Amino acid sequence: MIIGAIPVAVASAAVLGTEGCTSSSSTAGTLRFFTSHQAAVVRDATARIAPGPADDPAEAGHPGAREADVTGYIDSMLSALGALDSAAPLVYAGGPWSNRHTSGPDLMARFGALDPVARIAWRRRLQGWQDQYRQGIATLDKLAGGDFTTASHAKQDKILVMPSASSFTSLLFEHTIEGLYAAPEYGGNRDLAGWKDIAFPGDIQPRGYTADEVSRSDGPDPVEVTGIVAEVLKILGSL
Amino acid sequence: MSKAVVIGSGAGGSIAAMVLAQAGWQVVVFEKGPNHFSNLSGEGPIGTDFANDSLAMIVRNYPGPDPEVFPRTWRPVGVSASQYTGSVDELPQVVGGGTVHWDAKVPRFWDLDFQQLSALGPVPGADVADWPFEYSQIAPYYDEVEQLIGVQGDVTAFPAIVRQHAPRAAQYPMPPGPQMRSSLAVASGATAMGLHPFPFPMAANSTSGYNGQHACNNCGFCSSFGCPVVARPSALVPLRQALRTGRVTLVPSTMVTSVLLSGSRAAGVRWVRMTASGPVTGSEDADVVVMAASGIETVRLALLSSFPDASGKLGRRMMFHAFVDGSAVFLDERMHGYRGRSVTQCVEDAADPDYPGARAFAKAHGLPYLRGGLMELGGSQDPISEAQSYQTLLSLAGSARPFGTEFKQLMRASLLRDRLAGCSFIGHDLPYLDHTVTLDPAVRDVFGLPVARITWSAGPHEQVAQDFWVPRLKQMMLKAGAGVALAVPATLDSGGLPTGNHIMGGMMMGPDPATSVTDAYGRVHGLANVYVADGSVFVTSGAHNPTNTLMAVALRNMRHLAGGDGPATG
Repeated sequence: MIIGAIPVAVASAAVLGTEGCTSSSSTAGTLRFFTSHQAAVVRDATARIAPGPADDPAEAGHPGAREADVTGYIDSMLSALGALDSAAPLVYAGGPWSNRHTSGPDLMARFGALDPVARIAWRRRLQGWQDQYRQGIATLDKLAGGDFTTASHAKQDKILVMPSASSFTSLLFEHTIEGLYAAPEYGGNRDLAGWKDIAFPGDIQPRGYTADEVSRSDGPDPVEVTGIVAEVLKILGSL
Repeated sequence: MSKAVVIGSGAGGSIAAMVLAQAGWQVVVFEKGPNHFSNLSGEGPIGTDFANDSLAMIVRNYPGPDPEVFPRTWRPVGVSASQYTGSVDELPQVVGGGTVHWDAKVPRFWDLDFQQLSALGPVPGADVADWPFEYSQIAPYYDEVEQLIGVQGDVTAFPAIVRQHAPRAAQYPMPPGPQMRSSLAVASGATAMGLHPFPFPMAANSTSGYNGQHACNNCGFCSSFGCPVVARPSALVPLRQALRTGRVTLVPSTMVTSVLLSGSRAAGVRWVRMTASGPVTGSEDADVVVMAASGIETVRLALLSSFPDASGKLGRRMMFHAFVDGSAVFLDERMHGYRGRSVTQCVEDAADPDYPGARAFAKAHGLPYLRGGLMELGGSQDPISEAQSYQTLLSLAGSARPFGTEFKQLMRASLLRDRLAGCSFIGHDLPYLDHTVTLDPAVRDVFGLPVARITWSAGPHEQVAQDFWVPRLKQMMLKAGAGVALAVPATLDSGGLPTGNHIMGGMMMGPDPATSVTDAYGRVHGLANVYVADGSVFVTSGAHNPTNTLMAVALRNMRHLAGGDGPATG
């Protein structure tokens, strides 16, 4: 049962649609916050966290942070600090849907204005993150002897788990998974690379799912119990 | 004509506004957070800007409150200094309150929940008490709330234990929606071990047009999300009825900072609102003040307003439910828990103190009885939350790098999302006098006011009840065919903080001013015209999602305030 929800879309657009304006996130090569070197460090570091085909042979056919443009996602997010008072800072995507699985306008692409309390909160949060990125990138460079991007993959992995880098690596992990698995309106998940790799349809309104899609079995699909999957199953079984 | 100020626009405040406005009162509703809905007072579908957006809703606090500006603090029982500052079991801070992010599950409390002291006896160390009414007296208000907000369910599918302890007079207004694969799978395991699963009553439309709103279309972004099609309008239904009287003013983005007392009467409230140029303050006169800011914030406001506290129980007996997070991981099939209305089956057997073996286990651990709670069968999590789980697990695995291709392999195998059927266990939480909300001595919010400090740990009864039920929860999931089943007290993941967004207690109802904070109808003892209409009046926590009970009790108490024109009560 798929509802005919188009009247809601029209009604909502009429009420909510005039206050936001369409925002576009950073396109490749257009940086808003990072210097080109900072962006290169973040691109390499996030590609170690979520590697793609260019970063790890085991990921052939599986796009990662580089392909999903996680760096563009982070750059867009950090640059929002300078635009918090604007009509459409890149903080909260619009709604109620993107029409990704249906036809019609992408209402999530129209970011909303922040209320005065949210502006204060996001100013504090983004100032903190901007500082952490400036310092964290400098730390990665220092640990690499000058330039993180010239270190080997093995060396980059070692640097990311060093005690002096670990808090920045945790922040990078958080933002990497956001850039991979959040809606593409936020600037990452390019071409839905993050969702496609994990067979996730993402936002589905106003289509929804039919009763059959909800209740049926999709059939046998045994997981391959090897390597890290086997190790994690063992841990889960012991909890 | 009387004028009321209602503080909060959620489950309780919306009921208060509706009842008082329909009785002819003028009402001003203050809501601390913003409004994300359009066409609230019109006819036909309500509009919203909430989307299937995990980043906004789960990561970025879109429904608020943002802990950067509205933090809370927490400390375990018996520790003097706060150990954590940030989000502590927050409910949304928006028009519609907690009913904006809930998955709208509406079981009822049982008869013995309302008569817990009489029916089950005292528990050493806890402050167990009876409510000032019995199940049979609140039942007509449950009936009315379920018709009002629109519930899907099937009373003919109820097992005997539910019919015995929470009898219903009528069928629900709408039939259950499609049953989720993940819920049915776990339900089969429940049945196999002698438990009694049934379709979970839910305040979401399964029929298009009820209350003028669309039917749920199973988008899967339900628990923790605002509904993009407003198929679970919930508090917006009484709020709309209130607004349509023409006697109600809804004031969003405005926080009440004190109830202005003059002797034993409230003269009104003082409020503050943030603007681009800083905070603006003002006041509003009222004949009656109704507090419905949710348990923690109502207590905080009472403390900020220096309420009388003859019983010494103001802010005590906080109850949050002792959740257990169960995970059934299916190795041979993807369960696609992202399709459907969060969870569609539940089991109530564990709420029964006479479940086979429970009395003996309690006695062996020095307790007169133990009670578990409702089990929600099925459901899953979003990919960002899933990825966070793997980060933790990779560290536990001793991986040289807790990221990289192993992380991505885990995401593709999806043990904890696509192969997951979650099983949330809503553990009964006894009232303890040392589970409290107080004002934090150091931490302030964006307006410079002391924030709520929560003192809570899983209590002795709750730990024994978990010890009894966790192996049974695992057994149920294994019998369902899960390759791996784990059941972990939520406090292990949270670092001890309460979780689950079930906020009860702090302004306990009761007839005697010496032993309760509010009277038998929610009026604050010692104050002639201040009422409470949210979860803070709860006397016990039940073993169930609390909002249906919260709304039924608010309806009963507000009817009394408005002239006692509801169903007859004791």
